[in-house]
Amino acid sequence: MHEMGIAQNILDIAVAAAQKEGASRITRINLIAGELRGIEPIQLTFCFDIVAKDTLAGGAYLNIETVPVMGHCNDCQADFQIEDYAYVCPKCGSTKIEVTGGTELRLKDIEID
Amino acid sequence: MKINVMQDVLQANDKIAEDNRRIFQKNNNLVLNLMSSPGSGKTCLLERTAALLQGKLRLGVIVGDCETTRDADRISKYNIPAIQLTTGTACHLDANMVSYALPHLKLEELDIVVVENVGNLVCPAGFIVGEDYKIMILSVTEGDEKPLKYPMMFNQSKLLLINKIDLVQYTNFSLEEARANAHKVNPEMDIIEISCTTGAGLDQWIKWLTDHYWQKLKGAAHA
Repeated sequence: MHEMGIAQNILDIAVAAAQKEGASRITRINLIAGELRGIEPIQLTFCFDIVAKDTLAGGAYLNIETVPVMGHCNDCQADFQIEDYAYVCPKCGSTKIEVTGGTELRLKDIEID
Repeated sequence: MKINVMQDVLQANDKIAEDNRRIFQKNNNLVLNLMSSPGSGKTCLLERTAALLQGKLRLGVIVGDCETTRDADRISKYNIPAIQLTTGTACHLDANMVSYALPHLKLEELDIVVVENVGNLVCPAGFIVGEDYKIMILSVTEGDEKPLKYPMMFNQSKLLLINKIDLVQYTNFSLEEARANAHKVNPEMDIIEISCTTGAGLDQWIKWLTDHYWQKLKGAAHA
């Protein structure tokens, strides 16, 4: 359900950036989505196509690059990828883990005509 | 032509959440974002909490539901301020909705503010509203595998309350399994087993609440 709101935010940011450049249309939007944001690419693309219709971004391709959850061990200082939500250091077994990546939801760039 | 944008998609929400946080901070409020499935006992917990905190700490509630003011009506009976946000079709509370409730609460006369989110194990975890901590309830009738199925919410919560433990004998819910699953996705999570019907474990919950309130106040004094 909340994919619709996120799609609208993406559209607003992209259109504002495109208008600043005097673009006639947006052809591609590159989005970075951390795994922890729980974004479903199929749903988000579906919602985006609906809200983008009849705007500068109508028909634009929404490219979603998913980035993994990254952790830092506060005991042995190791950096590693967290898979399947297992918040345990693979090196020393500590559970004092700081999440250093995977929460981002960022519009990276757009391609315009 | 490629244009660099590099802008956070939820920047608008996060900015309002920061504004909310500053307002809460100024009023020395401990703010908890309470999340769970529908029917797990969020409102019942707040009713019990309101009664147990009476004369100790002052509680205020912001409650979100798709429709009706039934929850706020229930909580108001305990003489605590409760503001109902009806979200219509929205599946979660966001910072902007919560900001609309703030002028209706006398925050300077409150110690703890609980934001009772819309019943949903997915979406509320993605939006900050200005809280100090996210906390959540899992009731034994929902199943002990829920932390693995909905890891994001369990991962982001500071505290898990396992509710309706008086019913556990009638279900195939394993308390050990639930604890292990919750700690798998969030090893540092505090877990308290409670029953809002019998009152079991509620003393521990009130202790958690008051400890975190005083901790926050102490932190604010040092800041």
